[in-house]
Amino acid sequence: MTGAPSVSGDVGPGGSESTSVPIHLRPARATDLPVLVPLLLRLKRLNEEFDPLLRVRDDAEVQAREVLEASLNDPKSIVLAAEGVGPDKDKVVGLVNAVLRERPFYTPAVEGVIVDIYLLPLYRRRGVGEYLLKEVSSQLKAKGAGLVIAEFPAQNEIASRFYAKRGFRAITERHARSL
Amino acid sequence: MAESVPAPVDHGREPRRRTRAKRAVSPDEVLTDELGRRAVELSRFYGGKIETVPKVPVRSLRDFALWYTPGVAEVSRVIHANPDLSFDLTGRWNTIAIVTDGSRVLGLGDMGPEGALPVMEGKALLFRWLGGVDAVPLPIHASTPAAIIETVERIAPAFGAINLEDIASPKCFGILEELQKRLPIPVWHDDQLGTAAATIAGLLNALELTHRSVKEIRTVLLGAGAANIATARLLFALGQDPGRLTVVDSRGILHAERADVDELSVRNPWKYRLALRTNGGGRTGDLSAALEGADVLLAASTPDPNTIRPAHVRSMAHAPIVFALANPVPEIWPQVARDAGAAVVATGRSDFPNQVNNSLVFPAVFRGVLDARARSIPDEIVLAAARELAKHAADRGLSEEHLLPTMQETEVFPHVAAAVADAAVRQGIARRRLSHDEYLERAVIQMSRSRQLVRALLRSHLVPPMPRATPPTPRRRTR
Repeated sequence: MTGAPSVSGDVGPGGSESTSVPIHLRPARATDLPVLVPLLLRLKRLNEEFDPLLRVRDDAEVQAREVLEASLNDPKSIVLAAEGVGPDKDKVVGLVNAVLRERPFYTPAVEGVIVDIYLLPLYRRRGVGEYLLKEVSSQLKAKGAGLVIAEFPAQNEIASRFYAKRGFRAITERHARSL
Repeated sequence: MAESVPAPVDHGREPRRRTRAKRAVSPDEVLTDELGRRAVELSRFYGGKIETVPKVPVRSLRDFALWYTPGVAEVSRVIHANPDLSFDLTGRWNTIAIVTDGSRVLGLGDMGPEGALPVMEGKALLFRWLGGVDAVPLPIHASTPAAIIETVERIAPAFGAINLEDIASPKCFGILEELQKRLPIPVWHDDQLGTAAATIAGLLNALELTHRSVKEIRTVLLGAGAANIATARLLFALGQDPGRLTVVDSRGILHAERADVDELSVRNPWKYRLALRTNGGGRTGDLSAALEGADVLLAASTPDPNTIRPAHVRSMAHAPIVFALANPVPEIWPQVARDAGAAVVATGRSDFPNQVNNSLVFPAVFRGVLDARARSIPDEIVLAAARELAKHAADRGLSEEHLLPTMQETEVFPHVAAAVADAAVRQGIARRRLSHDEYLERAVIQMSRSRQLVRALLRSHLVPPMPRATPPTPRRRTR
């Protein structure tokens, strides 16, 4: 089993805080790859909608598998699988991929970056985003992060608003042009 | 589903052969070509189709002391003090704008605003002739939704209502929603609401005929353009269970986990919301998978008679309802659908029974909202129009061949107008509240006055009679 080591056991909504969130988070396993890869591809294709500089490569599927495999084996990464509840129990409906990065010049010295976060449309809203963010933030903190960072396409206004509402603001910007 | 009108050109010519394509041209195509040539000829002869005509006596220039300065200054002051009086003291009460960016003209696609002008003139003429409405064709140079919205907002003070026309999907949805929110007058998009209301009217009677309730039916919508997305919303308002409705488009069944659903969330939120809300059984696949056991098929997709196959109809529930509304060619020929077991079939064409035609709806809806000086046009009003249309067809005797009034049954229009005005009163959005009979009377007068006017102009030769058609120039063979 190659789940992110610090995630011990399940962190579903049935725990300390009872909510009606229609998902349940658990560490991802290598056996989840066949369902996680298409979910990650959906996310990248969604990103593509926002910007022609985010055009998805032809070999993206192979890449998605490699990236996820590497993350599953990386102690500095957290990969979570979101499962449905009730009749959708055991169905993987989303994923979170986050990574710890060093900050050699700034303090706090470690940041936790949410690189990928995706849920199938039917499992969105109803506080699901809030719940995912809280869970991944606390796991990143437990691994030593003093800062949580969300990466997403600059044109994704829904994401912008979501994070802004929860106290996030732009810290560095990445501007690009084609060569 | 554009208005279709009987064709004043005979079929007598041999189909000619195209030199390059080397295929026989169908009589329909020849007819369409001929009508087109004639329309250009007449457009040139008359210099367009409409003009403004005074509605007050002008005996000499001295009368302008009343119609214009100095007398008009007082009218201006009175309206300035109470802008709603513009509906009583000017022609605003009966004047609408037909606004388009020309981005989806008829079946032609993006024709640009100038290219859209003759079409909007034609629509204005229909508004005048059928609804007694003064309609101003207004193609605008604006393509982004924000620019269209701002333009319409700025011109709204001159109009009693706005008709958006031939604006591409999906931007038409956001534009309509936003303008309906912002403007103190009704805003209508005929490609969505006109067609949807006519469809619903026909469907209500088809359900009656086949002893079904809208609350129980399993419905398939083929095509997810402007009309069907509006139809879905109206169906839900009538009690259709969203779980028992399945939308099928060119990529198959629309469902929440289809690969393009995230793309839809960005580009077409209206279709995205349908994807999340409908198809309760979790069906996936193509039209065949959607239709199995369905009671109703409402197709507004591509003009190809093989889109819906007899086997599709046979797989539906017993005595299914099939509306094949693509123009000019339905998705399945009515007889083929009937032979395959369809209990009721409707199309968009006037040469088959049960024509679902938005011209049954928009003239009367505008007559009604204008006579009530309505502030908006909620879906309840659209449904009131649909119900009234259905009722009138039913009053004349419901049958598989008579679901809807025909365009010849012009006596229906004032009744639909009055039903619309009544609905505006019930909704509390009427600036002028009258009784049903008063609305009806005004609609009758205003609509018949239009026709009298047109006939009088023709009789007096102020509108010259139609010139003879010049004989078609034989097409020269290349090479």
